[in-house]
Amino acid sequence: MSPRLVVFCFFFVTVILFSAGLSAGLDAQSRAPADDSLAIVVNRGNPVENLSFSELRKIFLGEQTHWSNGRRITVVMLEPGNAERQAVLVQIYKMGEKDFINYFLHGMFTGEIHAAPRPLPSSEEVLKFVLNVPGAIGYVKAPNVNDSVKVVRVESRLPSEKDYLLRLHGKPPK
Amino acid sequence: MCIPKSKVRVEMNCSAVGELGKLRTGVRGRTLAGLAVFLFLAVIATPLLRAQQTDAPSNAKKEPEEALLKRVVQLEARLKEVEAALAKAQPGAAVAATAPAPHSAADPPPVAASAPQEAAPAPQPQAEQTGQEPMDLNRTLLHIRGYSDVDLRGSTLKGDPTSTTAFGLGQVNLFVTSDVSDKFKFLSEVVFEAGSDNVFGVDIERMLLTYSFNDYLNVSVGRYHTAIGYYNTAYHHSTWFQTATGRPFLFAFEDQGGILPIHNLGASITGKVPSGSLGLHYVAELGNGRAYRASEPVQNAVDENTHKALNFAVFARPERIRGLQVGFSAYRDLLTPAAVPAIDETIFAAHAVYTGLDFEWLNEALLIRHSPQGTPQVFNTPGFYSQISRRYRSYRPYFRYQYLNAPASEPIFSPSVGLRHGPSFGLRYDMSEFVAVKMQYDYTMLRGDRAFHTLALQTGFTF
Repeated sequence: MSPRLVVFCFFFVTVILFSAGLSAGLDAQSRAPADDSLAIVVNRGNPVENLSFSELRKIFLGEQTHWSNGRRITVVMLEPGNAERQAVLVQIYKMGEKDFINYFLHGMFTGEIHAAPRPLPSSEEVLKFVLNVPGAIGYVKAPNVNDSVKVVRVESRLPSEKDYLLRLHGKPPK
Repeated sequence: MCIPKSKVRVEMNCSAVGELGKLRTGVRGRTLAGLAVFLFLAVIATPLLRAQQTDAPSNAKKEPEEALLKRVVQLEARLKEVEAALAKAQPGAAVAATAPAPHSAADPPPVAASAPQEAAPAPQPQAEQTGQEPMDLNRTLLHIRGYSDVDLRGSTLKGDPTSTTAFGLGQVNLFVTSDVSDKFKFLSEVVFEAGSDNVFGVDIERMLLTYSFNDYLNVSVGRYHTAIGYYNTAYHHSTWFQTATGRPFLFAFEDQGGILPIHNLGASITGKVPSGSLGLHYVAELGNGRAYRASEPVQNAVDENTHKALNFAVFARPERIRGLQVGFSAYRDLLTPAAVPAIDETIFAAHAVYTGLDFEWLNEALLIRHSPQGTPQVFNTPGFYSQISRRYRSYRPYFRYQYLNAPASEPIFSPSVGLRHGPSFGLRYDMSEFVAVKMQYDYTMLRGDRAFHTLALQTGFTF
C-alpha cells in the first residue's frame, strides 16, 4: 500500500470519526431536553409562572401550603412504580420511598402538614386532576403535557430549555 | 520531533512526515491534499447541515400548528358569540357556561412552554372552582390512622408494684383528621390505654379545630400538646415515630408522673414568620393550664382559677441545614393549691435538634421555676436530655442521657420527683415500613435511693 494512500486514509478516517462525534453531540443536545424533562404543571387559573427550586421543594414537602392567591395547594404524585415519581423523589424530595412515607405520616401527625400528596395512577389522571382542582400542582413528562394545564418555569426555565433542572434521569440539584 | 516508542511506529510516522513534505511539492500531492480538504470540509459541514435539516421539519411543523392556533382562536370567538346569544336567551346561564372553560383567548395555551407534540383536545374541568370535591353526605370525611405498641418491660426498682417484669399493652391511638373545608381542618388523637390498675380508659389527648388563613396564620381551638420544647409536639402519643421506647422523663405524660403541663385546653396561633432562609416559626398558646397535681391535671372542662396559662415559642428551621431546628419557649401559669398560697409557674425551654434521614441528635434543656406568692422563695428545677442515633439500613442504635433535679423542698414536685439521671442505650430495628422493634436498657440514679436498671422490648407500629 502506498504511503500516500495510508496518510490519506488515516486523515479521512479521523475526519469521519470527528464529524460523527460532533454530529452525535449536536443531536444529543437538540433532543435531550425535550425528551426526558419533567414538566411541573398547575391549573391554568393559577397565577404562578415561575418557581425557584427552593419554592418547588417547599411546596412538594408540604411546607408551603398556600399559593400567592390564598388558595390551598394540593400536590399530586404518581403512584409508586412510575419512573417520574422516582425522579421526583430523588430530585425534589431527596429521599427514598420509605422516607417519603415516614415524612408525610409524621408531618400529618404533628399537624404541620395538611395533607400528603394525592397519588394518581397515570399522567392522564394527573392532567385531569390539575385541570379540575385550582390549587393543584403535579408533574408529567414534557411530551405528555397538553393545553389543559399550565407549565410552570423552574428557576426561570421551561422543560424545553437548556439547563432545565428536572429530568427523568437527572441528579438532585444542589 | 519524533520520540519513538516502538520501531514500527517510528518508521511509519517519520515516513509519513517525509511523504507529507513531498506531497506539498508534487502536483498529484496537491490534488490529493485538495481532495482531503474538500472531504474534511464536506464532512464537517454534514452535522451542521443535519442540524439545519432537523430544524427544517420543525419549521414545517410550525405551519400547521399556527393554522391550528388560528382555528382555535376562531372557534373561541365563535364560542363567545354563542355564549352571548345564550346569555340573552337565558340570563344566568352564561356564567355557568363560561366559568369552567379551561382557557380563553386572553390566556393562550403554553405552546412554547411545553411544546406539546400532539395537541390533545383539552378536557373540561368537572369540579367547582373551590378545589373541594362535592360533599357526599353518605360518605364520612374522616381519615383514621392508628398507632400502637406492645411492650415487655422489667425493672430492678424496689417497692414499686409496677416494676415487675410484665407484658403491657401500650397506647392504642386513633389519629383522626378531617378536611372540614378548604380552610378548616380537624385533628384528634383518641387514645385507649390501661392504667396501673389494669383498667382501660379512653382519653381525647388532642382535639383541634384549625382555621388556616395562610402559611403565616393558623388559629386553633381545642386540646393540644403545649409547645414547650421540641419533643412534646414532635411525637405526641405515638411510640412508632420515636426512636426510643419512650419519652424522656422530662416530657413524661401527666398521668405517668410527668412534671410538665404536657396537655392544655384553649386556643393557639401558629405560623411562619417572614424570615427568608432562616425559616422562623412562632407559636402562641392561651389555655387553662394545669391543676395543682390533682388526679386529673389537665383542666378539660373546669379551671381551678381564672388565670390563664400563656405559652410563647419561636423556632428556626434554616433552609441551608435541612433537619435542623433551634428554638426557645416561655410558659407562664398560676397554680392555686388548696392549703397554700398560689404559686407562680414559669417554664423556660430551649432546644437544638437535628433530624436528618440517617442522623438524629436531640438536645433540650428546661428550667421550671415555682415561686409561692407572698414569699421571696424561688424553686428552680432544671433538666435536660440529649439523644443521638444513626441509621444503618434498617437498624438504628441510639443513646440518650437525661437529667432532672427538683429541689427537696420543691412545693409542687416534692417528694415524688427529686433527682434522677442516667444513660439509656437502645437499638431500633424497622422490620417493615410500618413496624419497628426496639430494645432499650436504662440505668437510672436517684437521690437518696439505689439506682435501678430497666430493660424494655417494644413493638411499635402504625396501621
